[in-house]
Amino acid sequence: MKILLVEDEKALSESITAYLKGEDYVCETAADFSTALEKTELHTYDCILLDITLPGGSGLQILKELKKNNKLDGVLIISAKNAIDDKVAGLKLGADDYLAKPFHLSELSARIAAIIRRKNFEGNNVIRFNDISIDTLAKAVSVNDKPLDLTKKEYELLLYFVSNKRRVISKNAITEHLWGDDMPGNNDFIYTHIKNLRKKLLDTAHADYIKSVYGMGYKFTDE
Amino acid sequence: MKLSARYNRANVLAAIIVLLVSGLCYYFIIRSVLLNQLDNDLKVEEQEIIDYVKLNKNLPDPSDYKDQKVSFQEAGDHPVKRVFSSLTIFSKEENENISSRQIVFPINTGGKNFAVSISKSEEETEDLIQLILLITLGIVLVLLLVLFVINRFLLNKLWQPFNSTLTELKQFNLSNNPKLQLESSSIKEFADLNDAVTVMSNRVNQDYTALKNFTENASHEMQTPLAIINSKLDVLIQDEMLSEFQTQQLQGIYNALDRLSNLNQSLLLLTRIENSQFKGSDDISLDNLIKEKLDQFEELLEDKKIKTTTRLEKTIIQCNKQLADILISNLLTNAIRYNQQGGTVTITLSRNELCISNNSFLPSLDTSQVFQRFYRHSSTKQDGNGLGLSIVKQICDMAGYSITYRFNNDQHEFVVNF
Repeated sequence: MKILLVEDEKALSESITAYLKGEDYVCETAADFSTALEKTELHTYDCILLDITLPGGSGLQILKELKKNNKLDGVLIISAKNAIDDKVAGLKLGADDYLAKPFHLSELSARIAAIIRRKNFEGNNVIRFNDISIDTLAKAVSVNDKPLDLTKKEYELLLYFVSNKRRVISKNAITEHLWGDDMPGNNDFIYTHIKNLRKKLLDTAHADYIKSVYGMGYKFTDE
Repeated sequence: MKLSARYNRANVLAAIIVLLVSGLCYYFIIRSVLLNQLDNDLKVEEQEIIDYVKLNKNLPDPSDYKDQKVSFQEAGDHPVKRVFSSLTIFSKEENENISSRQIVFPINTGGKNFAVSISKSEEETEDLIQLILLITLGIVLVLLLVLFVINRFLLNKLWQPFNSTLTELKQFNLSNNPKLQLESSSIKEFADLNDAVTVMSNRVNQDYTALKNFTENASHEMQTPLAIINSKLDVLIQDEMLSEFQTQQLQGIYNALDRLSNLNQSLLLLTRIENSQFKGSDDISLDNLIKEKLDQFEELLEDKKIKTTTRLEKTIIQCNKQLADILISNLLTNAIRYNQQGGTVTITLSRNELCISNNSFLPSLDTSQVFQRFYRHSSTKQDGNGLGLSIVKQICDMAGYSITYRFNNDQHEFVVNF
């Protein structure tokens, strides 16, 4: 999978690249408007991560050019300008999703995965992880072709884990993903959901995929 | 007291005093002039009698006319002094006392001393004075009436530009109505006032805009470093060599970072609402929205074993979708966050009122401060960011709703009226 990261903050760009390299992504970067425009014209990407405020121009302009040239690259806007107008304008211009800074890299990774899924697997929305298959269209999970009954939160959790497989996800990222950022209280109660999901997977897949990392986060892995 | 009433009062009072004093002066001056004239008349009569006595060597006949009486009295050895006096004399013809002016003077004829008294009626003089008084009184009344009318209508008309400026100032609101529409006035004082007010409001507007922009820009500028820290942490925790101690430290950083981004986003949200960046209004089914939110918070409610009671009538309000969402979300979040283990949340929604009440480990909050930024009850942990209720208030202000807080039967109640 080829990804273009258009971001002028070097430090942020480095972290994102480092995180995405762990997945099966090839990540190219562009730090300014003209480089980004050139790259999008020359190549096709599965997903473009697009910052709006760039040296030399607006990310929205790049989006316009893409649409004008009938390019089908998926576009995820990542912007510090969380202004509603920007978000609306971006989505109206044909961006697939919008993520406001600051964000967790696991969230970014899940969003990218969702966009690529929508673009590439037309009619086939099944994600596999070993013996687990997740049908993202029907929102159904099966293990070894046997349906696994999950609650809504457990399903979202599993999908999030699979989108960030073999990576440590912080509890904060999980809480934010499942409940949004206006969550009152601490995030200890996510433990219940994780415990339930883990038990269901143990019962059906006979594998303990969810590993706790010193109470700070979790890792979904078969290693 | 109104300026015109005050002015009226002073004006009328001054007019009355001046007119009364001048009336009195008038009265005394005219009276003395007229008396002087009467006395002169009496002197003429006196001279006539003296001449007559000189010529005829005897006294003329006493006379008694309506307006003039002449009488003689033998004075014997008493010396008679020449004297003018005012007195009342009974008139048989008129059958009443008539005020008169009299002169008494000595005359000697035939070796006898006589006191001659000539009296003239003052009636005419009195009549004249009465007439003058009446006219003066009439003038006073007419003058008062004219003053009153002038004050009432002219003053009101003159002050009209002032009043319209005042009305504009009352409606002046930095966030909703920052432009003053002042009528131009040909009166210098009011034109000056308007100029000064316009200059002032422009300056206030500039300062306010600068401040708002500053807050928004500052919050924006903070987003990027926050994003960098967040992403660096996300990369850092992938390291399999991290010890338990190190991950604990990292968790501390994560939590602080979450709080910081939360605070920053709330500040941004506040300035955005203030800057009216949430445009458009949708039909919001409030009862459905509340149900959705309760679903979203289900795990939390379970975690704290909080019992919810809802009485929701079907209610549609006109509001920006995002703001309605934040409004309900913040109110519910508070009701849960500050609730105690096994507490209750009661939500009542009727056509134009939403009431969310909950019990809490907190005692009554300070009603005057509860919606202020960063207000927290002294016994709360640093849990929320202290902006939730300010945001709620700001949304209500923007949408024209009223929100009140009260503490009732150990229940914290927030009531929104649509």
